[in-house]
Amino acid sequence: MKRFTSRREFLVNTGVSAAAANFLFSLPSLGWAASSGTPKKKRMVFIFSPNGVIPDHFWPSQTGKDFDLKRILQPLADFKSRMLTLHGVCNRIKGDGDGHMRGIGCLLTGIELFPGDVQGGSDTPAGWSKGISIDQHIKNHFQSNPDTQTRFGSLEFGVMVPERADTWTRMSYAGPNQPVAPIDNPYLMFDKLYGQTKNRELLASVLDELTADFQKVQQLVSNEDRRLLNDHLDMVRELEVELKTELAQATKVDKVGHAVPHLPANVEEVNNNIPQICKMQMDMLVSSFVADFARVATFQITNSVGEPKMRWLDIEEGHHHLSHEPDSNEEAYEKLIKINTWYCEQVAYLAKKLAETPEPDGQGSLLDNTTLVWTNELGKGNSHTRNNIPFVLVGEGCGFSMGRAVDYKGGVAHNRLLMSFSESMGIPVKSFGNPDYCGDGPLGDLIV
Amino acid sequence: MRRKLRLPPRLPIGPRLRLPLGVWIPLAFFGWLATSQTARSVDGEGALFEKGKAIYASQCASCHGERGEGVSGAYPNALTGDSTISEIAKVVDETMPEGEPEKCKGEDAQAVAAYMHSAFYSLEAQAKINPPRIAFARLTANQLRNSLSDLYGRFSGFSEVKAERGVRAQYFEGDRYKKENEKIARVDPVIEFDFGKESPGEGISADSFYIYWEGSLLPERTGRYEIVVNSSCSFKMSFGKLDRIFIDNHVQSGDKTEFRQSIYLTAGRLYPFKIDFIQRKRKTELPPARIRLSWVPPGGVEQTIPENHLIPSAGPATFSLQAALPPDDRSYGFERGLAVNKQWDESTTASAVEFAQIATSELYPRYLRSQKDKPNDQRQILKGFLEQLLSVAFRGGLDPELAKLYVHEQVDQTEDDAEAIRRVLLLGLKSPRFLYPLVDADKTISRRTANRLALTLFDSLPADEWLLKKIEKNELESESQVREAAKRMLGDYRARAKLLDGFHEWLNLSQPAELTKNQELYPGFDSQLAMELRQSLRAMIEEVVWSDTSDYRELFRSKSAYTTSKIASFYGDEWSPADPNKKGLQKTAAESDRRYGVLTHPLLMSQLAYHDTTSPIHRGVFLIRFMLGRTLRPPNEAFSPLSPDLHPNLTTRERVTLQTSPQNCQACHSKINALGFALENYDAVGRYRAVEGEKTIDATGSYRSRDDLPITFEGASDLANYLADSPDAQRAFVNKLFQHLAKQPPDAYGLDTLKNLTDQFRRNGYNIRDLIVEIAVITSRVHATPLPPNPTSVALKGQP
Repeated sequence: MKRFTSRREFLVNTGVSAAAANFLFSLPSLGWAASSGTPKKKRMVFIFSPNGVIPDHFWPSQTGKDFDLKRILQPLADFKSRMLTLHGVCNRIKGDGDGHMRGIGCLLTGIELFPGDVQGGSDTPAGWSKGISIDQHIKNHFQSNPDTQTRFGSLEFGVMVPERADTWTRMSYAGPNQPVAPIDNPYLMFDKLYGQTKNRELLASVLDELTADFQKVQQLVSNEDRRLLNDHLDMVRELEVELKTELAQATKVDKVGHAVPHLPANVEEVNNNIPQICKMQMDMLVSSFVADFARVATFQITNSVGEPKMRWLDIEEGHHHLSHEPDSNEEAYEKLIKINTWYCEQVAYLAKKLAETPEPDGQGSLLDNTTLVWTNELGKGNSHTRNNIPFVLVGEGCGFSMGRAVDYKGGVAHNRLLMSFSESMGIPVKSFGNPDYCGDGPLGDLIV
Repeated sequence: MRRKLRLPPRLPIGPRLRLPLGVWIPLAFFGWLATSQTARSVDGEGALFEKGKAIYASQCASCHGERGEGVSGAYPNALTGDSTISEIAKVVDETMPEGEPEKCKGEDAQAVAAYMHSAFYSLEAQAKINPPRIAFARLTANQLRNSLSDLYGRFSGFSEVKAERGVRAQYFEGDRYKKENEKIARVDPVIEFDFGKESPGEGISADSFYIYWEGSLLPERTGRYEIVVNSSCSFKMSFGKLDRIFIDNHVQSGDKTEFRQSIYLTAGRLYPFKIDFIQRKRKTELPPARIRLSWVPPGGVEQTIPENHLIPSAGPATFSLQAALPPDDRSYGFERGLAVNKQWDESTTASAVEFAQIATSELYPRYLRSQKDKPNDQRQILKGFLEQLLSVAFRGGLDPELAKLYVHEQVDQTEDDAEAIRRVLLLGLKSPRFLYPLVDADKTISRRTANRLALTLFDSLPADEWLLKKIEKNELESESQVREAAKRMLGDYRARAKLLDGFHEWLNLSQPAELTKNQELYPGFDSQLAMELRQSLRAMIEEVVWSDTSDYRELFRSKSAYTTSKIASFYGDEWSPADPNKKGLQKTAAESDRRYGVLTHPLLMSQLAYHDTTSPIHRGVFLIRFMLGRTLRPPNEAFSPLSPDLHPNLTTRERVTLQTSPQNCQACHSKINALGFALENYDAVGRYRAVEGEKTIDATGSYRSRDDLPITFEGASDLANYLADSPDAQRAFVNKLFQHLAKQPPDAYGLDTLKNLTDQFRRNGYNIRDLIVEIAVITSRVHATPLPPNPTSVALKGQP
């Protein structure tokens, strides 16, 4: 009898439907993961940078294992054996909305936008996406299972996302017409992740002063009235003891890496602080994984049509503005390469941090169990094409075969890649987003 | 052998029982006073008193104790209560001494009753034996909310009371603000428009327009609200502050048209808001344009936000605490901050953290802008900001030592401004200097007076610029200065809100239960009607209080009311609105002789009734306890009312009489029923009725007053007139408002406080607003008492 080495192979060769597979895999005898004790953690991070890339300096010329890294991808050189570039993945979703809107709004949802009143530079106006995005879909599945449940399920990071809720500023959707706003203020993200712990720490550190002042206040009231104050003071003292125990416990946990990260003080949300904010957010993303707060994240740098001015690279013009320049504008062309290289450096920074951080309760590093998916709303800025959308994967969370450059000649609908992501996270689906683009099923050659 | 006297004892109370008590007497710490007390006749009836005293000593004291305190093994309960002398005399005459009632009859019984009443039995006598003092308490939940709102208001400012109603609107041609494209500028009474595919007004195209609404929301009462916007177009709404985004529907998308947002609002404040509503021209099909701004008020159902809760200008930004606070002790009949426990402590932490957030995001940036021309030392500015904040929170200046402890040392511990603010506010807002409003014995008279005024009238702390100036100039020392300040404060939204709560306490409506009625008997009585009745009653009370005469008696005599089309369609012609074309709450078209102010208001009548029948017992208990300020013993056991189905031929009155006929019920029910029956003309939903079934309603009733006078009524008209003129009802009203405002019993400010206030109330033509001012003067006056080395309650009580 033929033995299958992976669930993918099993599915493909036996023709088991996705729905039936769901049922089959819950049986112990067929559960691959279940056979080796605790199932390994699987995490996914979707990183977004806007306005397309310069394809000639992005995509490897050589496919397969011996692929080459062009200028823009050079920062990932250290991860060459752990990365995967997917050329030929196309966002074919039509309907309302301009290229940028459909670019970001359908990128993770694979479905059309609702008719609406947001008019882009061309095409018809549109509203929000008609469906859930892949990150939220995976999150919901994880949260429904006690083994994969985490405190937040998913985290939506942003970097300098404009204070404006519109189709260009949202890529994650909890459902039809339910855009999820990314948190782009690191201090707010910190509050969400560590606010309670931090408040307990602060409280513990002021209680000494509080009890001292209580004693002074007691001098201001009569003996009869002091009783209530005494009760109150006793309670404060009890709280002090409790907090000590609680925080001592927390410090113990710290040793295995649950530390509350320390953020630099008073960093304002302004264009020139983008590098610092990006780093703060990525550091928190890593520590939130260490604490197992979530296993799915999105990381949105600015927005579709984003206009960061990368002065730290000596570029004064906004990114989107530059991206419209024809390829013949050599200066702009060069700047766009630099800008995209900078985005790649951020991906590399995150990959490195994850690779250097040990998995708290198992073996290996966080990156061994995490897949970063770096993507974009456009294939190329000045054509607004949504063919050949950048998809660069780093890490082993999905269990894909890494260290390769793949080229889907003739192109494949990106819905199929979204289906592959779902399946790799243990959720085989018959379709994701608009089923019209899912007929050929998940991309077949991703899993080892 | 001696027998024991059984009299209704003083009402026993459990910690959670919400029962009104005329006066509360703490018994624990003042035993020594009782021993030094010599009973004397108050009324100069010396001979009768001495005779009664002698009889009591010889025939009663061995079982009941020298001063009615009870004797263990004989009759252990203390003899105190609310019965009149003649009622006591009757019991003595008929039953005492136990087993030998013939030994004390007639005049002897009268004499012993008079002696007992004045020596220890009556509530006044008890107050003399154990004079209550001003209880030291922490902030109640409501006071904490209000204090934090006003702490915020110290920086943003406070709204004046506004007469105008509605929302200011500007209509523009084209989908954005352009002054020259403004076609209409007006005040819209409410936001509820369905333009369809038409233009919203002259000169404006149907397919591209922009409407800007700006105004303020005045909440009904403190509680959780849901704000609901139904809009088929793009819109954005800010709330609380004009740049605090509340609902962001910048993108019109598909069929998503309903947007709900829940928020806890603190009453007595205006919440500024604005809405940008945009119909955008587009290549695709244009949806019809409509928008409605509604709310679900606490305990209510969704309704378009009524005009009388909208003000056509945006006031200063407002903060309302969202953190959940545990309910306060109400065992005295009013809220008191007496419990310090973990749950409460955690809520103070949550409040401090929440306030630190708003201070960081809104107050500090605002303060920074105001310091622009100062030397640019950010840390120094931050400290200055926090010192100012805490000097308001601590109700007094921050001396250098406190500034060092609470601000400087904390700020120096962290580089991060937000963390510094959080540190300082965690320490400061959990400090007894903030949480205990009466810890101010070391402050000036004007400061302490202002602290009490703010507590009495706003349930808050002094934060208004003008009041702080008066403190600074020491202009709150004389009685006339205090009175003038109290009058000014009474005109504020915060005092209005607190006062309205007081009326709900008085009417026992402060915690409204869900009101449902038998739908077969009362089809159409639904939760929307119940909500509109609440709003109708509220409007009536406000009209009386804020009218020129502010006459208490109008609360029982007013013949007009507020109504809506729904109320009118349920209650009939008497409730027809003055202007049938106008939406929302408005005056009735005509006065009605069947209407007696709040007394017969359908809300009160429905509340004091069962699902399908009236309840004379509920009405009677309400009248005795709340309207007349008397006390009652709880029933011996719980009873279900007799079912009308079992007695189809009996009226409600007859059924109640039948059920409460046993002797041991009658002690109380003779009083309760006699009052409740007077309202039998108003059915279970408060509709007037002349007959029940086929029998004519018998609405006769009676009452024996505190000064032992028998009163009889022929229906609601007599009852209402009696309540308007009755010293008992007036005293109960004064007492209830006093307790609500001061969160202390009047006796704590001197044993004759209630009597004096009630007398003054009468002399002032029963002017409610004057009464409030006089209460505030009493609770806020602080006299120059030098602070003793070890301060005693004298200094804190602020009494001469």
